[in-house]
Amino acid sequence: MSPENYIQIGTTLKWLLTTAWLLPLVGFMIEILGGYWSDRTSKTPAYIAVGCIGAGFLLSLVALFTWVDAADMNAWSAFTGSESQAVAHAEPADHYAGEEHVHADDHAHSEGGHAEAGHGHDANAHVEHHDQPNNPLATAFSGTYYKLGSFGTLLVSLDYYIDGLTVLMFAMVTLIATCIHIFAIGYMSDELTTHYEDHQVHTSDGKHFHRNGRFYRFFAFLSLFCFSMLGLVLAGNIFQVFIFWELVGVCSYLLIGFYVERKSASTAANKAFIMNRLGDFGFLIGLMILWTWFGTFQFANTEPGTNAQPGLFQMIRTAEGDLETVGEGMDKVALIQGRGSNKALVVEGDKLVQQQIPYWLLIAAGLGVFAGCIGKSAQFPLQTWLPDAMEGPTPVSALVHSATMVAAGVYLVGRFYPMFTPEVLLIIAYTGCITLFIGATIAVVVTDIKQVLAYSTISQLGYMMLALGVGGWMAGLFHLITHALFKSLMFLCSGSVIHGCHHEQEMTKMGGLYKKMPITCWTMFIGVVAISGLAIPLLTLPGFGALSFSGYHSKDAIVASALTFTSLNPVHGLLFFVPLITAGITAFYMFRMWFMTFFGKPKDLHVYDHAHESPSVMTAPLFVLAFFAAFCAIGGEGGPLAKLILSTEPAHVAVGFSESASLSFPSHHQIHANHATAGAVALLVALTGTLLAYLFYGRQVVDPGKVKSQFLPIHQFLKEKWTFDELYDAMWVRPVHVVSSWAVAFDKNVLDWFLHYLARLTVGIATMDRRFDELVVDRIVNVFGEVTFSAGKSLRAVQTGQLRQYIMFIAVGVVSLFVMLFVFLPR
Amino acid sequence: MVTLNSYLLVAAVLFVCGVVCMATKRNGIGILMGVELVLNGANINLIAFSKFGTLGIDGQVVAMFVIVLAAAEAAVALAIALNFYNNHLTIDVDQASELKG
Amino acid sequence: MEFFLFAVYAIAACGGALAVVLTQNVVRMAFWLVVSLGAVSGLFFMMGADFVGGTQLLIYVGGTVVLLIFGVMLTASGPYVSIENSPAEMLQAGLVGLAFLSLVASTVLAVQWDDNFEKLSDRGHVANSGYNPEETGNTSRSLGTALLGMRFDKDLSTVHQQVGEEHVNHVHADHTHATAELSTGYLLPFEIVSVHLLVVLIGASYLARAKRHVPVIEG
Repeated sequence: MSPENYIQIGTTLKWLLTTAWLLPLVGFMIEILGGYWSDRTSKTPAYIAVGCIGAGFLLSLVALFTWVDAADMNAWSAFTGSESQAVAHAEPADHYAGEEHVHADDHAHSEGGHAEAGHGHDANAHVEHHDQPNNPLATAFSGTYYKLGSFGTLLVSLDYYIDGLTVLMFAMVTLIATCIHIFAIGYMSDELTTHYEDHQVHTSDGKHFHRNGRFYRFFAFLSLFCFSMLGLVLAGNIFQVFIFWELVGVCSYLLIGFYVERKSASTAANKAFIMNRLGDFGFLIGLMILWTWFGTFQFANTEPGTNAQPGLFQMIRTAEGDLETVGEGMDKVALIQGRGSNKALVVEGDKLVQQQIPYWLLIAAGLGVFAGCIGKSAQFPLQTWLPDAMEGPTPVSALVHSATMVAAGVYLVGRFYPMFTPEVLLIIAYTGCITLFIGATIAVVVTDIKQVLAYSTISQLGYMMLALGVGGWMAGLFHLITHALFKSLMFLCSGSVIHGCHHEQEMTKMGGLYKKMPITCWTMFIGVVAISGLAIPLLTLPGFGALSFSGYHSKDAIVASALTFTSLNPVHGLLFFVPLITAGITAFYMFRMWFMTFFGKPKDLHVYDHAHESPSVMTAPLFVLAFFAAFCAIGGEGGPLAKLILSTEPAHVAVGFSESASLSFPSHHQIHANHATAGAVALLVALTGTLLAYLFYGRQVVDPGKVKSQFLPIHQFLKEKWTFDELYDAMWVRPVHVVSSWAVAFDKNVLDWFLHYLARLTVGIATMDRRFDELVVDRIVNVFGEVTFSAGKSLRAVQTGQLRQYIMFIAVGVVSLFVMLFVFLPR
Repeated sequence: MVTLNSYLLVAAVLFVCGVVCMATKRNGIGILMGVELVLNGANINLIAFSKFGTLGIDGQVVAMFVIVLAAAEAAVALAIALNFYNNHLTIDVDQASELKG
Repeated sequence: MEFFLFAVYAIAACGGALAVVLTQNVVRMAFWLVVSLGAVSGLFFMMGADFVGGTQLLIYVGGTVVLLIFGVMLTASGPYVSIENSPAEMLQAGLVGLAFLSLVASTVLAVQWDDNFEKLSDRGHVANSGYNPEETGNTSRSLGTALLGMRFDKDLSTVHQQVGEEHVNHVHADHTHATAELSTGYLLPFEIVSVHLLVVLIGASYLARAKRHVPVIEG
């Protein structure tokens, strides 16, 4: 790609994505301002919102294809030797290789067409490719919209950063958002009234609560959320990410608390917001460290031909993706790189040395940023807000709390990957590992259909974190995309069920619904199969990999990464076995949910009799999402989606890297070697889970109730969600209450006493002061006044008004004055 | 020989006569005349010191000013007297006791 | 001869003044005032102040007294020509006047003027800048120049004195001092007085104009 070409494509992408990003904001403005005064029964706000996000989807799609075309990815082809050579040639210092590169890529492109089918699990084809360090910055387009302010050399600006991950996230978010918007037109239709009756809220006289419909408000908030989410993805610096991070948090808060009159909803909204603040506190600390030591927030500055301020990624990693460190222990420092041939040098003493950052601070910064991700992605120990967030309407759960916003944490870990040191990655891996196990175990016992999905979401997010933590960058983000698709599908299906059952969410009251709502049943089946990671063993289609839905491929990749990592670092064996077992649990609880909802005898005839299939406005998005959930990952790790992600992978991941002898991260080559094993094992476990679920809930060979009573303490423990809420209550809330009661007592007994004493003292002093005023000051003033008055009164007689007397007075006065002078003046 | 003292004594008599005139006359015009006498007494002093003292020509100049200002004062005072007469229909200053305290 | 003239003038002036005090009739008071003021002008002539004496006659006797008599004519109609005083008042005023006179006279007589000229003079010796016998009766020129801001008398006399009396301790012929003396005339006061007269003219005519609220019998 020549620099001119680069700028042209960068500008095109910038405007496409910026438009897609800002359209929902425009929609939000119109809806929130217009909706308030307009007809409550009008569907116009929904159409505006759908139009905005739909147009955004089309623009994102165009951007996606533009980028793929520009990056010369040959997404549908196997990589040939010639292209690998070309990439290797392009590596040296200048990332924007000249003519030679372009020619070589053209050549590869023309060859790519007929090599399409040859990928599969052909290990040899991978070897060469995987060992080549990837160069994501060559296909990333960065730039600045607007400079917010500069402080010396430090600059805060609104930037964009467009690479494969950005366009992919844009396409994914807008696609899912469009489907969910359309679904919500049907789902929220009972808000199309001026007289909404909320059955879950009772007024003081025991009646149901009545209010205006809030159809427009729902879509306005959805639009605002889409704007924030897209802004988060498009952001070109970590501070901007933080801004939109908070904005999606606000939208989440607004949408969870949509039924604000319900105590549970408002509490859940507060809980979500506060839990997120905890994580964001760490995020802020991380930002401060980065700002202090690097002086910039920008990810990377990829504009060709400039020697402008390099971004964070360029400063922390060499062009080959290496993190250069010097020293040991607390004295260990990481060297900061310049851009291109420029070295980042600072004057120290009388010589120039390379800029550096203490290694432990780099770890602290990484952990801080990851703390934000923990909050947003509901990882252990801040995972408890996500199940409560299901108080929001189901489309919200589908969009915000499963597909996009909670995935933002994973996205940020992926985006910020170059900044994480191996130690931080290990912590990320363990956090994900703990989370995925906790989430999955709780999902086995909960009976609320949305709660099952919520815990499943937590668990799957844990998988993604785990994958990123063990060095499977591609696997984590691959799973992010596939999970978003099938989880939003399942949420919409559950929404359809809830809508059909008149807002009944308990699975224990459902059953046998497949007759009543077949479309929902079978689209959900696709989602369940996808998340369970089922595949038909040994049957592979040429070029498509194993015959399976998307979830199989992504989970397969994660398990393979974990397995390789464990084999390299045997100490961390848990990181492989826990996710493996959990894969089985996942299949079990998912099929449990499916069987309980759609099969067996109806448990509540009232619910069953009134159940109905949803209107087509709700089922159409199900078909679309089901299609993508099934086929988006076609081709597995050689497929277009995986390649798209791979092209953005940070440079250091592909070759593997190691911190020390005790901690090393796998290369693509090593992962690939374990791929078949991992896939087979994972599939086996998943099939076991499925079989168990079928036996328990499908055929009901084993009575779940008996099993439950047998493991009652464990069941109780799980039912109470590992007692996290109680634990936090005991650890934080109650101590705070106790300390506050102490503070109250101190206030009342000491401070108040002191203040009252002071007040009484002041009153006493004031009383004395008043007496002094009245008796002394006033009297003196009065005496003066009286004396003056009486003197004036007595002098009045002198003023006779007679001219002649005045003259006489003068004469007498002069005479007497002189006489007095004569008498008294000494001679 | 006529000395300075003789002139000063004449001036003193004129001055005291003027003061007594002002103090006794009930007629407004009479009071004015008293004023003229006082001024003349002062003038004699000025001229006397001009001749016998160190004042020189300055004494005569000041006397000139006194004469001129006395004329001006007489004009204004007469106008005041006329106004007084118009308002009170009398020239008796004892009738004018509006400033009595 | 000089003493005789002085006695005549002094008696006329003092007697006129006394007569003004003692007379009750306002017209006669005016007459005695004329006598007194005329005698005073005679005293002025005697002291060599010929121009001031002339002015006294012209303005006082010829102007101011005529003005007063006009005032008498305009106001003192009928019963108001003579307003009697009570004898007690006269006695009181006489006592005060006598006390005042004795005070002033004793003060005048208490000072030994001739012996104290050196103390009284600002230069510490007998001023010869004063009246010069050789120029008797010729003051109008020096008065006029003084009013126009020039002091020939002082200036010339100072120079003359320095040439003539070298035994005096300040021999320095400070020329700048002399020019400063030259310019201590009365031009500015003269101008102020002239403007003052104009103001008085206007003010008097304004004050004395006929008031409408006094009923006037139409003839």
